[in-house]
Amino acid sequence: MKAIKGKFFSRGIHLRDMKSLSSAAPVEQLAGVTEAVIPLSQHIGKPAVCIVEPGQQVKRGQLIAKADGYVSANVHASVAGTVKAVEERADGRGGKVRCVVIESDGSDATDFMAPLPENADGAAIAARIAEAGIVGMGGAGFPTHVKVKPAVKVDTLILNGAECEPYLTCDHRIMLERTDEIVRGAQYLAKAVGVDKIVIGIELNKPDAIAAFEKTPLNVVALKKQYPMGSEKHLIYVCTGRKVPLGKLPADAGVIVQNVATALAVCEAVEQGKPLIERVVTVSGKGVETPKNLRAPLGAPLSALAAQCSVKDDAVKFVLGGPMTGSALTGLCGSVTKTTSGLLFMTADETNADEPTPCINCGRCADVCPMKLMPMQTEFYTNAKDYAKADQYGGVLACIECGACSYICPAHRPLAQAIKTAKAELRKKK
Amino acid sequence: MNQLIVSTAPHVKTARTTKTIMLDVLIALAPATIAGCVLFGWQALVLILISLASAFLTEFVWYIIQNKVWQGGKEVVNAFFKQFDFTSLITGLLLALIIPANIDAWYMPLLGSIFAVGVVKMLFGGTGRNIMNPALMGRIFLFISFAAMTAYPDPNFGALFESNGSLMTGATSLTSGLAGEGTLSALDLLLGTGVAGCIGETCKIALLAGGVYLCVRGVIKWYLPLIYIAVTGLFAVALEGFDFTQFLPSILSGGLILGAIFMATDYVTTPKSKLGNIIYFVLLGLLTAGLRKATGIEVVSFCIVLMNLVVFLLDAAIKARPFGFHKEKKVKADTAKEGK
Repeated sequence: MKAIKGKFFSRGIHLRDMKSLSSAAPVEQLAGVTEAVIPLSQHIGKPAVCIVEPGQQVKRGQLIAKADGYVSANVHASVAGTVKAVEERADGRGGKVRCVVIESDGSDATDFMAPLPENADGAAIAARIAEAGIVGMGGAGFPTHVKVKPAVKVDTLILNGAECEPYLTCDHRIMLERTDEIVRGAQYLAKAVGVDKIVIGIELNKPDAIAAFEKTPLNVVALKKQYPMGSEKHLIYVCTGRKVPLGKLPADAGVIVQNVATALAVCEAVEQGKPLIERVVTVSGKGVETPKNLRAPLGAPLSALAAQCSVKDDAVKFVLGGPMTGSALTGLCGSVTKTTSGLLFMTADETNADEPTPCINCGRCADVCPMKLMPMQTEFYTNAKDYAKADQYGGVLACIECGACSYICPAHRPLAQAIKTAKAELRKKK
Repeated sequence: MNQLIVSTAPHVKTARTTKTIMLDVLIALAPATIAGCVLFGWQALVLILISLASAFLTEFVWYIIQNKVWQGGKEVVNAFFKQFDFTSLITGLLLALIIPANIDAWYMPLLGSIFAVGVVKMLFGGTGRNIMNPALMGRIFLFISFAAMTAYPDPNFGALFESNGSLMTGATSLTSGLAGEGTLSALDLLLGTGVAGCIGETCKIALLAGGVYLCVRGVIKWYLPLIYIAVTGLFAVALEGFDFTQFLPSILSGGLILGAIFMATDYVTTPKSKLGNIIYFVLLGLLTAGLRKATGIEVVSFCIVLMNLVVFLLDAAIKARPFGFHKEKKVKADTAKEGK
């Protein structure tokens, strides 16, 4: 290991990572998916337009919804079977999304694209990424084909293997098990973007993954275990020393950041012609008997994941995604999407959900804010509904919504929520 | 299946709460409290207990009246203990530590605590809403009300100026030192032996131990009290025409160490930003040394309360500069000009 301490940025928080619950569990296939409920909007941008009808037979990998416009992504069937319905389904987070419901016939009929030739050029790879419906799989879900065509010149591709969210180990497992494919996927991505330099940033709590990638041609940067290390801006800063200017994109700092899972999907799309139809999901938390990393077809109901890991009775909070940025579920409905990295079942003592008490002005939120904002000011003025002042004194629009302020607050005040509210209100006015 | 909890992210929280922080402050005050009891005897202990009890009862009575105990009954009392965060106890204890161990004036901690908690804290909205430090306001209230505030009894150990056990009036080592007749060594000042003063402020070594505990536990930032103490000492030296023999006596006398570690660092009455805090503590140091020189009496409590009132100006003047801000400096300067 090059640096024992690892590279770090100022501020941020140090969490109990809880990754040992599931980090040793090899990826296993999710069984018992009889029905896939595939949302048409699994990405940032316009929802895809459905092109199948109820009653139609579909094969695994067949296109079922086409990207609508530039910032949108294709959606493919993840199981073979019959389209039962195209309808609104509850997403488990209190909303409803339009989904294609496919009843599996148990067969393994596939309809993949033809693999690209080995000497395919960057444009062909970029087109394949768009066809395969690949989006950023770290959580944001920004369509990858848009990201690989930056408006300004870039010189570095950073692979995000930080996985700074506690509990989640899906990226860790694929980095160990699919190392070579990730490297090749990164090389395809670099070709599509037109850069030579590829850097992978991995946190020090995954020494085996760091060791695995040091044997590959990629430049490995060991990162200190720090939250939010996986934030694009901070990863760029620690890997290259460049700061993304406020309100600009990473490309303005000459960098493109892609998640390791995205690189794996790119490799599969290029070499096997396989569109993005499955992903690895960590099912963890003290509320499950056996935490696991499951390879689940997109649209697999969350209840199937829960069943395979046997949920205990004392789980009081179900979280889709990581514990810092994920959303709490109202029940076990909803399905796996392209951006589902984890499904957590947390017990009461893990969530530590107390009522907020008065702010004592300790300044811890400002001390840990990786964007150097003043969350307590924002919260104070947001509660008074004075959003202009909230931005003036707190700095709202730069917030990356990492939740570090809410985590550290000894008064347990919902600071991140207040910032999100202020952000939404300020955007409404513009 | 249990009732599911649904809330916004993040779903994990630190185990640190306001209560544990306040408990840490109480623990950090323990050495100084014990030292005070050892140096000044049972009288100090009685005064501390009076002060603690009256501070607690003031908040309790305020809370149950505010929450209409005659309607809620026992539930209001339970709710009080659920939300009680030890801040009143800290106020009560701190107030006891900054009054003389003069048992004849037993009514002082009583009235001071009621004023500090009732008027300075609860009237402004309770925890986190007070504009000035409650304990210091309590002391100032007593200082301008009772002459007994400047009657310091002898400590149990060490030679004093007069060892007849009578009350000495107005002769802490600081005031005599300022008048040029200091006779105590720096070691005496550090240990509090033979030093007349308030209950908790004379034994500096106990205060420093508490300060180290607070820094280790991450309750206060180590550099802030250090800035205050160093600036006070150096400015005092400068005011005496760079007479460096003045450095140790000026930082080890009076209430400076207690004020710097436990009073000035009070979260509620300090600026929110790091830069604001540094400016605040430097100004505090300059003000303390300057006013001490000008008035010839101990002024730490007045200085801190005065600076408490400046906090709002500092907070309004210092804005957040987000990560990646530097590139936009120019744009920001232009908009600022337009604003004017």
